Amino acid sequence: MFEIKPIFNALCRSKVGAILLLLQIAITTAVVSNASFIIYDHVQYLNKETGFPQDELFRFTVLTFGKDRELSQQFELDEAMLRNIPGVINAVTTNAVPLSGSGSSSSFRLKPSPEESESVNAAYYFADEHALETFGVKLIEGRNFLPEDVRITNTIENAPNVAIVSKAFAEAMFPDEPALGKNFYYFGDKPLKIIGIVDTMLSPWPRSSRPPENTILVPMINPGMYQHIMVRTQAGERAAIMRQMEDVMLDAYNKRVIINIEALDQVKQDYDASDVLMMRMLIVIILVLVSVTALGIFGLTQFNISKRTKQIGTRRALGARKSDIIRYFLVENAMVCLGGLFIGSISAVLLGTQLMQWYSIPALDNSYVAVTALAVFAMTMLAVVVPAKRAANISPSIATRTV
Amino acid sequence: MLKMQKINKVYQTEMVQTHALRDFSLEVNEGEFIAVTGPSGSGKTTFLNIAGMLETFTDGEYELDGVRVGGLNDNQRADLRNQKIGFIFQGFNLIPDLNLYENVEVPLRYRGIKTAERKRRIERCLEQVGLGSRAKHLPQQLSGGQQQRVAIARALAGEPRFLLADEPTGNLDSLMARQVMELLEQINRDGATIVMVTHDPELARRAPRNIQIVDGQMADFTLYQGAAEHAVAMEA
Amino acid sequence: MFAHYIDLGWRSFKRTPLISILMVLAIAVGIGITMTSLSVYHMMAMDPIPHKSDKLHHPQLNTLDDGRNWNTPDDLPYQLTYQDVQNLANAPVPALKTPSFRTGFSVHMNSPDVKPFVESARVVNRDFFDMFELQFIYGGPWSQTEQRDASPVVIISSEVNERLFAGQNSVGKQIYLDDTSYRVSGVIANWDIHTKYYDLNNGAFNDPENLFIPFSLTAVKELASWGNNNGWKRENIDTFQDKLNSEELWLQFWVQLNTAEEKQEYGEFLMAYMQDQKAKGRFNRENLEFGLRNVVEWMEYNEVVSEDNRVLVGISFMFLIVCVANILGLLLAKFLRRAPEVGVRRALGASKRQVFYQHIVEVSMLGLLGGLIGIGIAQLGLWGIRTTYGYYSDLATMDITMYLAAPTIALLASFIAGLYPAWLVCRTTPAIYLKSQ
Repeated sequence: MFEIKPIFNALCRSKVGAILLLLQIAITTAVVSNASFIIYDHVQYLNKETGFPQDELFRFTVLTFGKDRELSQQFELDEAMLRNIPGVINAVTTNAVPLSGSGSSSSFRLKPSPEESESVNAAYYFADEHALETFGVKLIEGRNFLPEDVRITNTIENAPNVAIVSKAFAEAMFPDEPALGKNFYYFGDKPLKIIGIVDTMLSPWPRSSRPPENTILVPMINPGMYQHIMVRTQAGERAAIMRQMEDVMLDAYNKRVIINIEALDQVKQDYDASDVLMMRMLIVIILVLVSVTALGIFGLTQFNISKRTKQIGTRRALGARKSDIIRYFLVENAMVCLGGLFIGSISAVLLGTQLMQWYSIPALDNSYVAVTALAVFAMTMLAVVVPAKRAANISPSIATRTV
Repeated sequence: MLKMQKINKVYQTEMVQTHALRDFSLEVNEGEFIAVTGPSGSGKTTFLNIAGMLETFTDGEYELDGVRVGGLNDNQRADLRNQKIGFIFQGFNLIPDLNLYENVEVPLRYRGIKTAERKRRIERCLEQVGLGSRAKHLPQQLSGGQQQRVAIARALAGEPRFLLADEPTGNLDSLMARQVMELLEQINRDGATIVMVTHDPELARRAPRNIQIVDGQMADFTLYQGAAEHAVAMEA
Repeated sequence: MFAHYIDLGWRSFKRTPLISILMVLAIAVGIGITMTSLSVYHMMAMDPIPHKSDKLHHPQLNTLDDGRNWNTPDDLPYQLTYQDVQNLANAPVPALKTPSFRTGFSVHMNSPDVKPFVESARVVNRDFFDMFELQFIYGGPWSQTEQRDASPVVIISSEVNERLFAGQNSVGKQIYLDDTSYRVSGVIANWDIHTKYYDLNNGAFNDPENLFIPFSLTAVKELASWGNNNGWKRENIDTFQDKLNSEELWLQFWVQLNTAEEKQEYGEFLMAYMQDQKAKGRFNRENLEFGLRNVVEWMEYNEVVSEDNRVLVGISFMFLIVCVANILGLLLAKFLRRAPEVGVRRALGASKRQVFYQHIVEVSMLGLLGGLIGIGIAQLGLWGIRTTYGYYSDLATMDITMYLAAPTIALLASFIAGLYPAWLVCRTTPAIYLKSQ
């Protein structure tokens, strides 16, 4: 009924054309399914919850060159001044800005050295009791720091002995038991007692291969010549407050420079720029690739039809209906397309495996191959319908005329 | 001029061997005008294609103007064709993209003739076939007879010593056919050797020498009274 | 004849404009996409100092205890400790060598006229300027004596010179970095490198620093590193002196080794140095290991070309293959339809080679045209990259190599696409097309 055998024979006679079509469809399937999977991977990352109210936060950096003031006192004054600005919810000095790509991390041990011990890598934020509110992260267990927990120091001897940790860190450190109240160790044998657990709070490197969910807050202030400050405001007030920040800070003390006044969503955007770029490039490539393939199939079918005008006329004269002609081309295309999809799906999976080996890309989900194959099939059929319809309109009388 | 001896042409397909020409021998002298006739499928066109070196032959000897064709490669055949032979086809075979001037120019370009010389020859040839004023026209703007005259001009432009015509009047009405035939006769009088394949006995009779090909073999006779009977007798 | 083939190609283009435009567009889009990703790749991977990249080397020492790993393929740390850098810098070999790290200052004139601003600074020895070929507009490197005495001297970029001194010769003038006054020793011309190959730790494509000061100031001024500081050993680091004495890895070191022998000798020197240090209680490991990579190897080792970019280049070329397959199909259809005309030409004396040549010229025209349009598309793509990602603004451009590569790749692609159709059409037997049209 579909005349598969004669169509197949006809295809065999114009092998090259069919092989080319097959090749195009195969590569398109392989590339599009992998590219769309990479896009999905990127989108998933970009939409990942960071734990921070990014539209309420901004950061800036203070470089102090004056030596006539005690830095920790100066920053206390600055924080108090910032918290008094209408619209500001809270402000805190910190050693690292979340999501910025720059900060510190360390391995933390379950047992003090020299005992053999599991260790978990985590990014750490040094900040005082204002950090929880400023960062906007959600405390789900335990309590916030008390002012007496906080140490102003730069030596390990006086380092604090409590910490607030992220849920992910707590679960990584203590997989089988409640973490609250437990100790873990840094600098080998310095204990930190978990007094609070917060929900999501990402590290300064959300794209890192080390789990960015593993973070801890340590109640320590070690003000330096190069100091970050985070400010949380009402979302609507942020832009206005950011604009006056430099003047306000320099009015308070002028032997310093204020730089990097940046909204946190902007910080994240800058950090993600290369991912967004990759995604856009892939989207463009997919779109163009699919259109080129569609146009190619369209063009080839068009040519095939014009080459066979007389043959089609003869078929019509011999009693073929219009629908028979359309079906002929659709079946022909479907046969090539299925072949291409078969090869394409296999190469898609192979390509995915290769990509996974060479690059930090998760394993290709086979459903992406299936969906892509279906879409490519639909698209090629669509690309054939138009010229096939035109072919069906060829007059039977063409057969009797000599060209 | 042209000498074929025991030429065989076998088409080999998967199933069958077809003998298009069998032990075909023919000698054509300088300045002759020969008409080749024969039923459809008898091997006329094969003969013409081999004569024009468009096809190779299976075995035998073919000598064109003193050159043995059998040992030539494709490029040498192309050059020889270009220099010695002019083609006239039933379907005219003008190149639709090119205007008349450019169509006539094609063989001259392949021969590497300089622009000025090309121009001189093209104009002369178009003049000769009575289309000098229409050099810039495209083939489809002309009637069939005019197109065939352009094709003849193209064949003449290379100043070939040997003209091969395949049903030159086949697509033309009788008036035009006569004009084309007169043109060919004129060219023959000017010194070119012509071999013309035709199935039109009327036309064939106008040529001084007639050859009939039947089943890949030939019957050669000069057109006298009662020639037709003679041919039949030979065949028998 | 060539001009004639071009003429024929153009006529053929006009005869089937739609298909021809489709083919040109296919090449153009293929080239556009490929050139976009390839240009970025090319700029990333380009040798930043071709005439010298095989001479400049970055030594690495494996200071880690046995059993410790580092996130490099060979477990060698990227950076060095202060003590090692000091020892290597004070060694007699080689002639040209320099430590290097990045710090930063508030720059001001200790007057209200100039608002203080922040600049990052590179801390190096005076050999740095010779080794990395920095050009001076005014003055020159600080003296050997100034270097030895840790004098507060600075070399500023023309940009800073413009800002502080309106571009005048400022040699001998004083500027303030934080609270210390420094004497300007020289002004360097704009250092036009797009890969910051001498320090790949914090973004390989950031701009070079605008200030340079002597490395001997590090201990005196307790200069903080504005770069990576990696520790692996349990050490109490409370003071700056602790840090200088520690195993913390935070410094780069460059040497210029002009010949293979020099490299060989320096390798032996490093080995001997490590053995000596081991005797003194450091390098607690079985096998002493060092690395000595030149600029190109160093860039590869640091994976300067991003993973994303490699994937993109690969995908772009696959895309180009699809375009070629597409064009091949269309050419096949187009040329075979022209077989009768080719038959006539063959009958009129054209050799196979001439027919082949004619078609290749035609295909090349399509390729060239596609390549040119492709450059336009690539420019558009690169513009898109620059707007999306400011960090790539110096990378997302085409240099002369890429401008030449675009039409070359286009020609090559079209040539590959045209080869088979042209070959097929030139070997058609002329006879079969002549009988009837």
